Amino acid sequence: MRAPAPRYAANDGVIEAAKAALGDMLVEAKDAVGEVSLTVVRENLCDAMLALRDTPGLEYQQLSEIAGVDYPQRAERFDVVYQLLSFTRNHRIRVRVTTDEEKPVPSVTNIWPVAGWLERETYDMYGVLFEGNDDLRRILTDYGFQGHPLRKDFPMTGYVEVRYSEEAKRVVYEPVSLAQDFRNFDFMSPWEGAKYVLPGDEKAPQPEAKGAPTPATAAQVAKADATPAASQAAQGKDTKTTDSPAQTGAGQPHPGNQPGEKPKDPDVVPTKGEGQNK
Amino acid sequence: MSDTVDKIMERDIDPATGDTSIANYTINFGPQHPAAHGVLRLVTELDGEIIERIDPHVGLLHRGTEKLIEYKTYTQALPYFDRFDYCSPLAMEHSYVLAVEKLLDLEVPLRGQYLRVLFAELTRICNHMLNLGSHVMDVGAMTPNLWMFEIREDCLNFFERASGARMHSNYYRVGGVRQDVPVKLLNDIAEWLDTRLPQLFGDAISLVAENRIFKQRNVDIATVSREDAIKWGFSGPMIRAAGIPWDIRRSQPYDVYDRVDFEIPVGTRGDCYDRFMVRVEEVYQSARIIKQCIQDMPEGPVLTLDRKVGAPKRGEMKQSMEALIHHFKLFTEGYHVPAGEVYVATESPKGEFGVYLVSDGTNKPYRCKVRPTAFSHLQAMDFMSKGHMLADITAILGAMDIVFGECDR
Repeated sequence: MRAPAPRYAANDGVIEAAKAALGDMLVEAKDAVGEVSLTVVRENLCDAMLALRDTPGLEYQQLSEIAGVDYPQRAERFDVVYQLLSFTRNHRIRVRVTTDEEKPVPSVTNIWPVAGWLERETYDMYGVLFEGNDDLRRILTDYGFQGHPLRKDFPMTGYVEVRYSEEAKRVVYEPVSLAQDFRNFDFMSPWEGAKYVLPGDEKAPQPEAKGAPTPATAAQVAKADATPAASQAAQGKDTKTTDSPAQTGAGQPHPGNQPGEKPKDPDVVPTKGEGQNK
Repeated sequence: MSDTVDKIMERDIDPATGDTSIANYTINFGPQHPAAHGVLRLVTELDGEIIERIDPHVGLLHRGTEKLIEYKTYTQALPYFDRFDYCSPLAMEHSYVLAVEKLLDLEVPLRGQYLRVLFAELTRICNHMLNLGSHVMDVGAMTPNLWMFEIREDCLNFFERASGARMHSNYYRVGGVRQDVPVKLLNDIAEWLDTRLPQLFGDAISLVAENRIFKQRNVDIATVSREDAIKWGFSGPMIRAAGIPWDIRRSQPYDVYDRVDFEIPVGTRGDCYDRFMVRVEEVYQSARIIKQCIQDMPEGPVLTLDRKVGAPKRGEMKQSMEALIHHFKLFTEGYHVPAGEVYVATESPKGEFGVYLVSDGTNKPYRCKVRPTAFSHLQAMDFMSKGHMLADITAILGAMDIVFGECDR
């Protein structure tokens, strides 16, 4: 490892020891980026954790963290990831189970009481249920909050916003309204698998991919290229052309800026009452 | 006579003892309370003045940072870390940059590593000044806090001279630090470590460390055994005060912590006083580390020269087309991080601050879970304060060193 990240005891032999201790409770064990990850059968989580804590040679005494991860395309969409720490062996390990919205994960609060809040947080953020945690309330979100905000299908802006209402003299909840559209820029390099057709590439054979709204999709670009005449005809009289001197306003008694004569500016919203220009 | 008996029965008086049976009293501590160190609501059940049960309600400062980070590039996500534990911003950045570097398998120039350790330790002093000061103020002393704020102010000035910002420095970068520091700054820090820090800090601590009132308020309050400290996920000064010599800087050294010499203070009783004194000693040890950093720091680059990750300097961009392209790409698309997952925990001033980073190979983190130190400590509030008096809550909270920016995220 060249990076200056925390250096703990080597991973040698940890997977073998875990395999011996867990037996068929272990689904998968891998050593990637210098860290050992074990995937265990969800139903046997507590037994596996006890084995990891109490087997000599493993001795993971402390539960540092529980994290949820959401992969919506999977059948069991959630990962629940436990980070364990061994003081005596100076080693960290990661234990993972998968679940979905309904299947509960056994709670490890009886092994490590610290799991209580960590499971509450995972429940709050992802809606993962923990069987055996007798205090599975929301923890970080607001009282009365609905939804699970860290799921990938939960919008970043949320659904409600909160403000103090001077009329109601209390805090009110309203559907979220954005002064400006939420912009999620596409920074991906167009040469490395952009999900839209590059302008000029329309005739090349395209792989099937989801279209992104900006810039114009291949269909829009192709249509604009193929039918220039038709699109002009469609625009028709709205096209701004000056056909005769009369249209220029020349020779008229006033310069054409009287209130009644002003062209409608779509950007200017008329005021309801009498504006300041009256 | 029978009337009296009836009255007694009606008023639910136990005739055997003469005591009135009273219900437990439930009070709200916070969310707006000066000793709550932020927005903490403790639903406290009291039997007289004795605490029966505490149910901490956290999340009043929840800002959804983890969700926001999923929508930002790796570079853009960095300033959010300053805002987790806003009392020790650089220590928060440290975990994050180390996590990304681990995924990238990126080498960091030695001077960059030294500077990161130097400023991480300066952050530790800065954080402990705030915590120790507010702790003594919570239990009734005023003066030490004012003196320690002087030291904190000095630290913030040093941060400003290095990064341009007093608090939310945004100074560390994946691959090193943003820019080199002037020699004058290092000289000033070294001089400050020899003069102002020991003088002000020594004076401030001499007022409380052996003070009878301070000891009465802290000794044997909320003792935690070693077993409990492990079970409840304690870290940092909390686990060291319980008597476990566990310090990630020593056990799992990162950056150049294996090249500096320092000692790990450990408590003997595991009470609030031990937690306080562990932090006091850590300040002196941090000063030692900073001195060694200033002495041993080699010359050289402070940011990785891998231009696919580290941004080029402006001067370079004026001369080199390549540098200009790299700059543009780094500040629009950012860099791509190989798919994988890491959990990197560092010794922040408050304990183990971990970042669990899942990358899917794009320029944005797929998941960035932060392991706050306060979460596990605050959860233990219930068993730590059971049987203590209401007034001890402030001492226990003060000795826990909790900041809600990181607890609620």
